[in-house]
Amino acid sequence: MTAPVTSGLTQQLAATVDALRRVTVRVQASGAAASGAGVLWDPGAGGGDDSRGLVITNAHVATRAQATIQFSDGAVAQARVVARDRRRDLAALELEPRTAAAVAQVRGAPPLRVGELVIAIGHPGELTGAATLGIVHMASGDRAGRTPPWIRADLRLAPGFSGGPLADARGRLIGINTLMHGGMALAVPAALVQSWLRRARAPA
Amino acid sequence: MTTLLESLSNELATAVEVGGRAVVAIHARRRIPASGVHWRQGVIVATNHTINRDENITVTLPDGTTAPVTLAGRDPSTDLAVLRLAGQSLPTAQLRLDPPPSVGELVIALGRPGPKLTASWGVMSSVAGAWRTWRGGEIDSLLRLDVSIYDGFSGGPLIDAAGRVLGINSSGLARGAAVTIPVATVERTLGELLERGTIRRAYLGIGTQPVRVPQSLARRLELKNTVGLLIASVEPGGPADRDGVLLGDVLLALDGADVSDPTDVLAQLGGDRVGRPIAALVIRGGQVQTLQVTPGERPEPRAA
Repeated sequence: MTAPVTSGLTQQLAATVDALRRVTVRVQASGAAASGAGVLWDPGAGGGDDSRGLVITNAHVATRAQATIQFSDGAVAQARVVARDRRRDLAALELEPRTAAAVAQVRGAPPLRVGELVIAIGHPGELTGAATLGIVHMASGDRAGRTPPWIRADLRLAPGFSGGPLADARGRLIGINTLMHGGMALAVPAALVQSWLRRARAPA
Repeated sequence: MTTLLESLSNELATAVEVGGRAVVAIHARRRIPASGVHWRQGVIVATNHTINRDENITVTLPDGTTAPVTLAGRDPSTDLAVLRLAGQSLPTAQLRLDPPPSVGELVIALGRPGPKLTASWGVMSSVAGAWRTWRGGEIDSLLRLDVSIYDGFSGGPLIDAAGRVLGINSSGLARGAAVTIPVATVERTLGELLERGTIRRAYLGIGTQPVRVPQSLARRLELKNTVGLLIASVEPGGPADRDGVLLGDVLLALDGADVSDPTDVLAQLGGDRVGRPIAALVIRGGQVQTLQVTPGERPEPRAA
């Protein structure tokens, strides 16, 4: 039996996951026992200083002013928190100058469709760069419309996925994995991260 | 260039979109709404256990508008309920009666526990033969899912990768685990519910428990089946009582079919049996006897 579709799918999935792992880092807050994930972000986004690397993660991962960042190739760098928002559960960290690091490609359009494939990368337990596959459960919003919008995914996240990327079938970033709630994964939409970043980095 | 992975992603999203056009939210309980499927023009199928009232039921349509519906009928035994929706133009679900789902097939569960459509995915984990629910309903095929069923998904459809409905998901039939009520069962039940409002079921008014007939007796009576059903209770004035069934009789067969489990009795008591005498083979006083019993119609559980 040959399975050209399945083998093609498998190869493409592996390639997409591989590219995503290169923009996923481990974030270890100084002195904290647990670590989480983070996403290498375009440092020029929001008019920032693009000579320094930028990492986006959850505020509940970057709990201290300093953190150690471990890249997918094993290299380690120090970073400091330059913005943190507990309500949105977001934090931005600046890295020591580093050249030629890959950054996540954010999907601007088209809007997410319910049922689309999504891929999450994280570091659960002893693992580094683990992947899970799911679909978009609900595109955005909340029934009441009061809480900040979330991407809801039919996807299993374990501790260690927090702060890592949620991406579409092309590997484009659509959100930052944040928590499990009611059996589904909740991610902060990438667009919300970008607008938050613009505000957080705007000169006072 | 579009990769296979993207094509799969797009097809899944399109299946959700197509299937979702016939999925409505049903407001008939406190807490969060449940789901329903616009099955035929003006007819919505939902699950019985998520409909906690008979009146003041509304639905939220895919376009976000709310419309009143009336309860046409419900069947606790299969956990199905039917609602009528008047004066709305809404696409009806595309049904897939054949071929039946296969184990490992990619499937999507849809729900609308509010204005927005939601989805989860997975595979068919088991496809087996006909089964009887704990309330005696006959389901054409046991369809089990490796799919997360979230709050409010009961009454929503299980769809295939082309957006066609394979059945109605319910968490009310197997201790909270998700099962899918196949299209064939819905179709069979729908007509009777629309016509009568309930599903007619025959009953005898007996309680039974399996017993092994002593070997010596089985040998003397030349029984093939050595397990029978001891009549442990007889409802006073019920059909079996009227026809002379006694406490302590051991029921061996109904209408020529061996019975060794209480579900075997239920299997003989479809709605078409009401009022028609059937032969009951029993052991009484060490002898085999044939009694004629005429099932009555199972009384509806009284409304609260």
